Amino acid sequence: MTTDNDSWIEQLRRGGLELAILLAVAPGPRYGLEIIRHLQEFTDLVVTEGTIYPILGRLSRDGLLQAEWQAAAAHPRKYYKLTAAGRRRLKVMVEDWRAFARKIDRLVQAAGKEAANESL
Amino acid sequence: MNLSEAGESRIRGYLFMLESSLRAFMKRELADDAVREVESHIRDRVGETEPMPNERDALNRLLEEIGSPHRLARAYSAEIAVDEAVASGRVGSIARALVAVARNTAEGFAAALGLLLGYLVSIAFLLIAIMKPIFPDNVGVRWRNGEFAGAGWELWLEPGTVVTHGWWLALVSLVVGALLLRATHRGARRYLRRVSARRQARARITGSDTSR
Repeated sequence: MTTDNDSWIEQLRRGGLELAILLAVAPGPRYGLEIIRHLQEFTDLVVTEGTIYPILGRLSRDGLLQAEWQAAAAHPRKYYKLTAAGRRRLKVMVEDWRAFARKIDRLVQAAGKEAANESL
Repeated sequence: MNLSEAGESRIRGYLFMLESSLRAFMKRELADDAVREVESHIRDRVGETEPMPNERDALNRLLEEIGSPHRLARAYSAEIAVDEAVASGRVGSIARALVAVARNTAEGFAAALGLLLGYLVSIAFLLIAIMKPIFPDNVGVRWRNGEFAGAGWELWLEPGTVVTHGWWLALVSLVVGALLLRATHRGARRYLRRVSARRQARARITGSDTSR
């Protein structure tokens, strides 16, 4: 049972990762490690390097993110920021996310009411 | 922590292995960029890490957390090789993508094996057609002592072998080879498009994609 639940949670996390990454760079440019830390700080999404960098690369190739190397004090870092297409896509994804969550909430509430009625 | 020469050497070795693995399926400039980004990440992490109990153990722990170069390269391969193959449709890109897919799942391995077989068989047919003008007497239907002994191209014919219908066989081989190559290539692109779509669907909350 725990394994089934873990697998479900894993699917949920994986499904939400692209949205989470786009949200992480929405306020301004961030580099890979900053994005990982941001996700860890605001969610329980533990994202590994092997997951995030290939996805950042794909989002850049898809034109949703723009990557730029910037010279930092210690060494150069690759910063990612949303493109106009990325911002549009993020808006749609956030709306979809909220609509989906509302639908599931309604289902949960309906199931709770039905269960309560049956127990009476 | 500030790295000693041994620590620097360990990181260079890690990056070298990563670069070698990435170059197997990525263009040089993409591989170089990915390695540079991972190096930047490692340097950031090293800067935050205390050399506890010693530099060697701390560095090993850090690199283990990041994952082996081979594993990291596999994660890149799944993302990059397939996208590039779907977008370009080039034979080289498709071959790299199939290798990447074959290394990741059993289904991918089976599909890549089937497609490889398709490519090889179609190339074999085309070779028969190509060889006919070069070795006109060695391509065709072979008869030995009046009995059928095979068809195709054979460089060393046994004494008493008669070769007939050479140009017909070359023509049929050319048509069959070209059709089979086209079908295999289209099949490979279709399969990779499906892999790409499945992967993107997994990474998405909903199926809607407004970016394309």
